[in-house]
Amino acid sequence: MAEILGMEVDEEGYLLKVSDWSIEIANVMSEEDGIELSTEHWEVINFLQSYYKEYEFAPAVRVLTKAIAKKLGNDKGNSRYLYSLFPYGPAKQGCRFAGLPKPTGCV
Amino acid sequence: MSINSIEKFPTYLAIPPLKKDSMAGNGPFKASIEIQKDLGFPGEKVDNWQQVAINKIAETKSKYRSVQVFLDSCMKCGVCTDKCHYYLGTADPKNMPVARQDLFRSVYRRHFTFAGKYFPKLVGAKDFDEDMLDDWYNYFHQCSQCRRCAVFCPIGIDTAEISMAAREIMNAIGVGQKYPNQILGKINKIGNNLGMPEPALRDTLADLEEEIEEETGASVKLPLDIKNSEVLMVTPSADFFAEPHIDGLIGYAKVFHQSGVSWTLSSYASEAANFGMFIGNYDVMRQGALRIRKAALDLNVKRVVVGECGHAWRVAYSFWNTLTGLGSGGSDEYSLKLQNQLDSNYPQPQHMIEFTYDLIQRDKLSFDKSKNDHRVVTFHDSCNVARGSNMGDIENGQFILPREVIKAACNNFSDMHKSTIKSATFCCGGGGGLLTDDLIDLRIKGAKPRMHALKRSEQDNGVNTLAAICAICKSQFSKVLPNYDFDPYMIVSVHQLVSDAIILTKDSET
Amino acid sequence: MSLISIFFTLFFYFSVLIFITGLSYKVVQYWNTPAPLKIPIAPAPLTKSGVFLRLAKEVFLFATLFKSSKWTWLFGWSFHLALVLLFFRHLVYFWPGEIPLILLKTEPLKYAAYPLIFGLIGLLGRRIFVDRVRYISAPSDYLMLLLIILIGASGMLMTFANNHPNMLLVKNFAEGLITFQWSELPKEAIFLAHIFPVFFLIAIFPISKLLHGPGIFFAPTLNQVDDARKKRHISNWAMQKEKNTKIDLDHNQDKGS
Ligand code: SF4
Ligand code: SF4
Repeated sequence: MAEILGMEVDEEGYLLKVSDWSIEIANVMSEEDGIELSTEHWEVINFLQSYYKEYEFAPAVRVLTKAIAKKLGNDKGNSRYLYSLFPYGPAKQGCRFAGLPKPTGCV
Repeated sequence: MSINSIEKFPTYLAIPPLKKDSMAGNGPFKASIEIQKDLGFPGEKVDNWQQVAINKIAETKSKYRSVQVFLDSCMKCGVCTDKCHYYLGTADPKNMPVARQDLFRSVYRRHFTFAGKYFPKLVGAKDFDEDMLDDWYNYFHQCSQCRRCAVFCPIGIDTAEISMAAREIMNAIGVGQKYPNQILGKINKIGNNLGMPEPALRDTLADLEEEIEEETGASVKLPLDIKNSEVLMVTPSADFFAEPHIDGLIGYAKVFHQSGVSWTLSSYASEAANFGMFIGNYDVMRQGALRIRKAALDLNVKRVVVGECGHAWRVAYSFWNTLTGLGSGGSDEYSLKLQNQLDSNYPQPQHMIEFTYDLIQRDKLSFDKSKNDHRVVTFHDSCNVARGSNMGDIENGQFILPREVIKAACNNFSDMHKSTIKSATFCCGGGGGLLTDDLIDLRIKGAKPRMHALKRSEQDNGVNTLAAICAICKSQFSKVLPNYDFDPYMIVSVHQLVSDAIILTKDSET
Repeated sequence: MSLISIFFTLFFYFSVLIFITGLSYKVVQYWNTPAPLKIPIAPAPLTKSGVFLRLAKEVFLFATLFKSSKWTWLFGWSFHLALVLLFFRHLVYFWPGEIPLILLKTEPLKYAAYPLIFGLIGLLGRRIFVDRVRYISAPSDYLMLLLIILIGASGMLMTFANNHPNMLLVKNFAEGLITFQWSELPKEAIFLAHIFPVFFLIAIFPISKLLHGPGIFFAPTLNQVDDARKKRHISNWAMQKEKNTKIDLDHNQDKGS
């Protein structure tokens, strides 16, 4: 099993345990993807985590964009903007950085 | 990838020369022990796998006439060789449908036929050894079970049947694919492919209601678990979660709103997709379908309508009646229980497109088509709808109805080249359980024929919107469109087009 | 009777025996194997008569092949059609007793040998020169074409190049096979080269890809009516399962049987 900073991840790079997550892990993961985490990134990651805490599930993309619109302004509350932050998809890449399991299904 | 490099590609009609082993590899991620055990398969490759596999082949071909007949009947005419998008996109000869079948057929011949037992070289019979198993795993996961080859085979040989059987046999020896099997575990436990629990679903739907009301001023509802509704709506869970799917869901809600027909989603059966078909396992597929039967009974609905999902519609239309008695014409006690409850004035199950089309025919919906005037729309026939189902119970209805719905909502519609639509449609490249990141290279290459047809439509007719009625197609296109120099946002749900143009009655007006 | 006549006589019966038992075995096997799911392939007929029409178009016109590849259709269809015509042309030899008038008028059918050879050479050329078809071809695929070419070529040499064997001998031999009144066959090599592969192909029919003949009628993709919503289609084994296990809808699974 691969590890990041001593924490186990699956073959696709997602943490096996949500509780293993730390800010450093997010930094390492994003660095590997060639992304520097900005405040906007952190807004998304924080929202993903708090939503997950409540529902044990990642928010739908539409729910996420609306939440971000509230926080960062309407011009940023759309999926084009989120994709510019997370080129591999706000749900998939965002969840990985946030230490959440990968959303599966036809997505 | 720039425009120029695309023009240098051969057109989608050109057939590439063979490039042997160009897609050789280990195949997609394998399912873990837990995932396999959840579905009742051996956790790991069993020790005497060869024997187990041979026995499983014997069982499968005795239970499925398709498998037995197709293994025997191929005359190697080769006319299917250039019909598979994965062959056209990768040039790997093992992606030619007949060559893909031959991975299976050579083993069948070796172990089950006279010629193969005594003259293996003569008839191309091969032992089921480790190398062969590796090829099976790799190349049967490079088949999206789209059935395009079957449309062109003079004997009707359907490679999808063979690839489903092959996956079933591999699962029986403990060699499964992570992506579909993990998802099947979730649907059995939670009720949908995403693993989205009921509170999250409820919250998301409430959010959407709010959004629609803000935008339109109409209080369009997305009801969940409402007993005694007229309609149970079963839709792919991607419709709750992903883009552009969710706008299609909003479209369904608006149509129901206008129709005045009461409807509900179910948190228990919050998934139309049924990956049991992809792995060729009757019982697993039935298990998924039974959830919908149960939801229909529990919620005491009169009708079951299925949302935009390609293989789900094939399963619903062609298999539900068989698997669960959800349909009509059953005479056994089991199916009667459900069939007596459902309203026999409507086809059961019905596709959302049929539902909307029917309302359009009866002049129950009005549209402001100009809302879609910035679009020139083309329609991607999803494989499983196109080749494995029907709509409207008229011949070729599955091609006619979606186009009519689009045309009712849009002024500008233009089909892609006729060799790439309807029954000859090219797969999006991500169907059949291949919509996973570990197969992204294959997905991009497999999309090539479709992308080339689209490119031509863009150049000739200014097409800028690609509409589909399949969750997999939509996700796949969003992902691969940029690789062919298209805007990933050009892919939309058919019901998004409906949603954008439909004129809603506000509560004050009613 | 000479040894060679005995050999060919036995070979004929041997081949026919394998043909009949093998083919019946296969047909019964196909018949008995359930098709548990509705899998008709588009464009799928919605009625029984539609299915009938579809199969007729496939069997007589090779409609799908025409759609798929015009050249292969031209070669394949002319070859098969010629084969049927030549079969009728040959009935006259085997007909016991008085020969019906119609069979005496089949003489012009001999020209079907030309399209036969034309089609076969085309199919062989395709197998050799199209890289995709070459890739999927096993030695037996070439062999079968070569054997039929041999049959056609030897037949043509006899018919059109004036190498006729003694026709009375041919008639007596062929009729004798049917009436069990065996007699000598003509021993010209060209005649033997004509009938040997014929008998051989009859023998391997049920154990080779020639099974595509019966196979096409049993392909669920082609012979099913697309009416799954209207009729409950269920296989015996699935029905059995349903009966043995009462569905436990509360837990949504089959109760153990
Ligand atoms: S078209 Fe059908 S019969 Fe011909 S090679 Fe392909 S699978 Fe075999
Ligand atoms: S079913 Fe589709 S993907 Fe599979 S071999 Fe046939 S054409 Fe290719």
